[in-house]
Amino acid sequence: MVPSNGDTAGPSSSQDDPAATMKKRNRPQYHPFTQQQLPACKPILAPQTVVEVVYQYETSCIPGYMLDNEVAYIQNPSIDKTCTRILKVPKDMKHPIYIYYQLDKFYQNHRRYVKSRNDKQLINPKEANNTQYCKPEATEHGSPVVPCGLVAWSLFNDTYSFARGNKELRVHKRGISWRSEREHIFGKQVFPRNFQKGALIGGGTLDPGIPLSEQEDLIVWMRTAALPTFRKLYGRIQVDLRAGELITVTMQNNYNTYSFGGKKALVLSTAGVLGGKNSFLGRGYVIVGLACLLLALLLTMLCLVFPLKEEHLALQYPLPRPAR
Amino acid sequence: MKRFVYINDDSCRYSYCDNRISNTKYSLWNFLPKNLWEQFRRFMNQYFLLIACLQLWSRITPVSPATTWGPLIIIFIVSASKEAWDDYNRYLSDKKANERKIWLVKDGIHRQIKAQEIHVGDVVWLHENDEIPCDLVLIGTSDPQGICYVETAALDGETDLKTRIIPTISANLSVEQLGKVKGVVECPNPDNDIRRFDANMRLFLPIIDNEKCPLTINNTLLQSCYLRYTEWACGVAVYTGNETKSGMSRGAAEPKLTAADAIIDKLTIAIFMFQIVVVLVLGYFGNAWKYTQGLKQWYLMYPVEGEAPWYDFSIIPLRFELLCSIMIPISIKVTLDLAKGVYAKFIDWDEQMFDWETNTPAHSANTAISEDLGHVEYILSDKTGTLTENKMILKRCCISGTLYGNDNGDALNDVRLVNAISSNDPDVIKFLLVMALCNTVVPIKSNDDTVSYKAQSQDEEALVNAAANLNMMLISKDSSTAEICFNGSKFRYELLDILEFTSDRKRMSVVVKEGQTGKILLLSKGADEALLPLACPGQQIQKYLEAVEMYSQLGLRTLCLGWHDLKESEYKEWSKNFQEASCSLDNREFKIAEVCHSLERDLHILGFTAIEDCLQDGVPETIKLLRNAGINVWMLTGDKQNTAIQIGLLCNLITSEPNSQLLSISGKTEEDILRSLERALLIMKNTSETKDLAFVLDGWALEVILKHSKESFTRLAMLSKTAICCRMTPLQKAQLVAILKSAGYLTLAIGDGGNDVRMIQEANIGVGISGREGLQAARAADYSIGKFKFLKRLILIHGRYSYNRTAFISQYSFYKSLLICFIQILFAFLSGLSGTSLFNSISLMAYNVFYTSLPVMTIIFDKDISETTVMQYPQILLHSQAGRLLNPTTFCGWFGCSLYHALVIFFITICAYSDEKSEMQELSMVALSGCIWLQAFVVTMDTNSFTYPQILLIWGNFVAFYMINLILSAIPSLQLYTIMFHLCSQPSYWISMALTVAVGMGPVVAFRYFKNLYQPSAINILQQIEQSNGSIQTSGNLESARANLLNLLTGSRKNRDSYYHPLLSDSAESARTD
Repeated sequence: MVPSNGDTAGPSSSQDDPAATMKKRNRPQYHPFTQQQLPACKPILAPQTVVEVVYQYETSCIPGYMLDNEVAYIQNPSIDKTCTRILKVPKDMKHPIYIYYQLDKFYQNHRRYVKSRNDKQLINPKEANNTQYCKPEATEHGSPVVPCGLVAWSLFNDTYSFARGNKELRVHKRGISWRSEREHIFGKQVFPRNFQKGALIGGGTLDPGIPLSEQEDLIVWMRTAALPTFRKLYGRIQVDLRAGELITVTMQNNYNTYSFGGKKALVLSTAGVLGGKNSFLGRGYVIVGLACLLLALLLTMLCLVFPLKEEHLALQYPLPRPAR
Repeated sequence: MKRFVYINDDSCRYSYCDNRISNTKYSLWNFLPKNLWEQFRRFMNQYFLLIACLQLWSRITPVSPATTWGPLIIIFIVSASKEAWDDYNRYLSDKKANERKIWLVKDGIHRQIKAQEIHVGDVVWLHENDEIPCDLVLIGTSDPQGICYVETAALDGETDLKTRIIPTISANLSVEQLGKVKGVVECPNPDNDIRRFDANMRLFLPIIDNEKCPLTINNTLLQSCYLRYTEWACGVAVYTGNETKSGMSRGAAEPKLTAADAIIDKLTIAIFMFQIVVVLVLGYFGNAWKYTQGLKQWYLMYPVEGEAPWYDFSIIPLRFELLCSIMIPISIKVTLDLAKGVYAKFIDWDEQMFDWETNTPAHSANTAISEDLGHVEYILSDKTGTLTENKMILKRCCISGTLYGNDNGDALNDVRLVNAISSNDPDVIKFLLVMALCNTVVPIKSNDDTVSYKAQSQDEEALVNAAANLNMMLISKDSSTAEICFNGSKFRYELLDILEFTSDRKRMSVVVKEGQTGKILLLSKGADEALLPLACPGQQIQKYLEAVEMYSQLGLRTLCLGWHDLKESEYKEWSKNFQEASCSLDNREFKIAEVCHSLERDLHILGFTAIEDCLQDGVPETIKLLRNAGINVWMLTGDKQNTAIQIGLLCNLITSEPNSQLLSISGKTEEDILRSLERALLIMKNTSETKDLAFVLDGWALEVILKHSKESFTRLAMLSKTAICCRMTPLQKAQLVAILKSAGYLTLAIGDGGNDVRMIQEANIGVGISGREGLQAARAADYSIGKFKFLKRLILIHGRYSYNRTAFISQYSFYKSLLICFIQILFAFLSGLSGTSLFNSISLMAYNVFYTSLPVMTIIFDKDISETTVMQYPQILLHSQAGRLLNPTTFCGWFGCSLYHALVIFFITICAYSDEKSEMQELSMVALSGCIWLQAFVVTMDTNSFTYPQILLIWGNFVAFYMINLILSAIPSLQLYTIMFHLCSQPSYWISMALTVAVGMGPVVAFRYFKNLYQPSAINILQQIEQSNGSIQTSGNLESARANLLNLLTGSRKNRDSYYHPLLSDSAESARTD
């Protein structure tokens, strides 16, 4: 139903004579208001669908012979941990499509963990030596670790790449963190130092040539989650996916969740007004509505069965004194 | 234990302290330690200090130590600076008093020194209107009779002038001699009894002989009194500085604890226990989680076994202790103190309790106990001056069997009496003489030669005035002589001795010598039962008894007058004994009474005076209202039984037969009394409920009962709504209060005179009437009012509202603390029981200090039902009397509510903010906003009446919360940075808030609605009645509902005790016959 400007011009526009130029002069000025062409948004009273693909891979990405010994598998750096899977898109997904990783039983909110960071060090290059609170991941052979602390040390390091058919789907990794954090929490002049150089390697490594403000995976990771099950943004896909399309996912399964039996999942999801797929609020409102309805019915029943008489206004109400 | 004061002797000058007055509690250097020590004596402060210290250990603290230190230091600074300010003001006034210039006489030379330099033994020279700087023994005055007048208002609150006499030994000293006098005063060590000074004095040679001279309180000038109508006076300093009588009787009274405070303390301890249990349980599971799960979480890098310090196991419990410490609200004390201060101000400001006649507003001296007014169960009231006006007028009299004033009710205008006077009827003349002379009245001559009288007792004033009206005028009086003008001619009388009135003797006498004839007379007046037994045999007592009976029936106060001739020799012998008794240092009062008794015998009874004391305005209505409110009113009086009963009838305390019965507890012997007590008890237990029963007893009976069967009396006291106790001494009044208090009742004592002070101090609440008997009672009391009728407003309005408000504020304080604490505990289960705080330090601190304490303060304007309704249905007071708004049950309600709200907030938050939104700071702010939303609605729902400060504060606070957090969100260095901007722009945030409110408040509202509908409390009913009164149609339903309500309110009183039955009795008459 796209109106065309041609309609308003009418048949006269095809004639090319002086009269026509006169008419042209009489032609009403174009304005979106007069022409009812104001930009508009069109709310549709239908549920906005959020499409979500969750693929749990912590077991399926382990070769069969290592299934008994998952921890040894994940801790052995010499094993190639690439894992390729094909996902089917269930419904049309409009871009942007968000890529999340989901961890389970991972206590980013643990007291020992939450505290183990130093925000001054992150923003100010002069504070590199300030590794207060960072123990036990504060220094390496006497020189400070930047960024220090358990939070940074345990950086998530599984990677994903996607392909549709043979064509790679580009994953946009810029702008996955909050702008305020890039500008005010993580310094532009602060570069990683001594990171993951210790005897124990926690998680991902950082490129010492890139300032912290551009290490967006780190920034996302360091915004700690409040619950033991959480998703963090990995990147975005800026093309639409059609239902039934097959996506090839190549994962590097590096991160150790096997020690504590946590799950890992890859999530592709579109976003609605309320964010990702979360039916809780909807259900909550339905339940509250139902409860109100029930209460109304109950009250009506009560009024019918026990009609309010005057006694109800002044029924027995003993006021016994407290026992002595 | 004596002190020897050598007059004008430098050698003993420094053995006692100098006259530096110090009322200050602290000095500059000990202020901090002492004040801290005082503050830390409170359990709550100790607790919070411990928490604050633990928080300094960064290993265990979940939040920054500032969350506890901040409020703690603020609370400390506030109360310390209040103390410091008070103390500084005391210091200033002390300094002013200490540096006052005082004249001193030494070796005949007058010198001016500072008051603080006076030492014991110095002779101080005072001028008219000087304030007396220390306790002095008077040795000289400008008055040739050796008397001076002092105003003791600052000491005992009595406004009349008191006469002070110089001791006989120094009576003849000249002014020059006074300057050089030497001697010794032997006096007891300093004490605080301002009515006793049992000492003696000797003056040394060469001035006079070495005789010992007794000293009494009448020979002293006490510190802080004023010298009046005397040009100069001089005295020897005996007690100085803080050792003076006024200095010793100072001292802060122990703070009274209200019933509400006691419950709050109990609740605090219960919460503390609960907290310990929670901490132990969480600590145990925390350690268990750590060893089963935590060690596997490699990213936590727990140290390997063996490297952990020995105290490792205690770390997690301690963390939880700190996390849960907010369960006990740190602000509750401050909030309550503030609220109580406002209640007290409301009382001070109350225009309807302002007494226009005497220009006195109501005043609450004790700001801490207003809630208790709403709990009062027993009122013990004085009669004279409290229920009555204490404006005494002689209305009738009975002289040698003739009743005057019967026809017109005014003896002063009775023609027969006037005739009898003009015909010089000797009995009538004597009668008038006793009226004019036998008293302690001070006549004050004004410039135009009219005489006015200053008296300590209103009865005496009435008698002297009456005598003056009947032409027997007391013109002047000093320590030794009195001048009477009768029918225009003057007569002089020498006042030889005064046998003072005491509450034990219940009579006073004077010994006078007629100036012309030299005859010595003993003139006595006193209570009938004190004087009639002393009458000489052969007199017609019966007639007098009838007259007294009749007068008492009319509610008049009677006094019996008598006289007795004394022979010169007889008097001299007695005088010696009396002198001796007056000089004794120990047990002086008793000895004097003995000696007096030996003189007061074989009296010729002249007759009776009957004085009317009108009821105060509004007393019957007030008593009726208070009794309807379920308060038991007892009358304690020093008056006679019949007078007391008559007043009781007049002021609705008791009703006449057959609706009520009066049980008299009396008897001639101890057994009789105890038997009548048992009988009264039995009748009380068995009588039907419709009858009003009251008991009457007198001082002697009480004494016997307390000695032998205190338990039965306590039971009787608990059963009886009304009692009239007559012939009570001040001590007995206090004893009665103590009995009721020990039975667990909340007592209020109200009185106006010095004799009520002890009971006022003893009772839970003391109310003083600033009346004609001086301000003594009002000063000792917690509340002072101008008239008895204001009591109903004080109790029903101020007391009730204060109680309601405190009940809400205290429970709400616990509610909000528990709410946020429960959320923290719930979060612990999702954070590996590691003791992470969901909320950041700033939020936690602000939550307690700003977000939740401001809205709750608005409740001080709340009124559940209007004042008129309360006055209309005083029975509603039973509700607060029974403590229905603040007790463990209501607290459990609040506890459950906070648990429910915590669950609602927590689960909605974690479900709505799960997965990719599960971010620590955001989640914490969502939960906090949930708390703020819910608490705003909780306060709104519990507010009964909305005034603009309430609306402003509740919703202003709400807006302030968002403003503050938006501002905090703009500061990059805070954890909160940008969080609120994110949240406020998310629809899911607002939707979650709406859901939280709906789920959190829905059931609460529904529950209230059901309760209101199907099981309304008395308050709910009254609210409905109030509402329907506003609308035009008053349905029949409501009318009958009102009737039902009254039934239920009054009926409820029946359930007071399982064995409670209303009063039964035999009447006063029938009791007397057996």
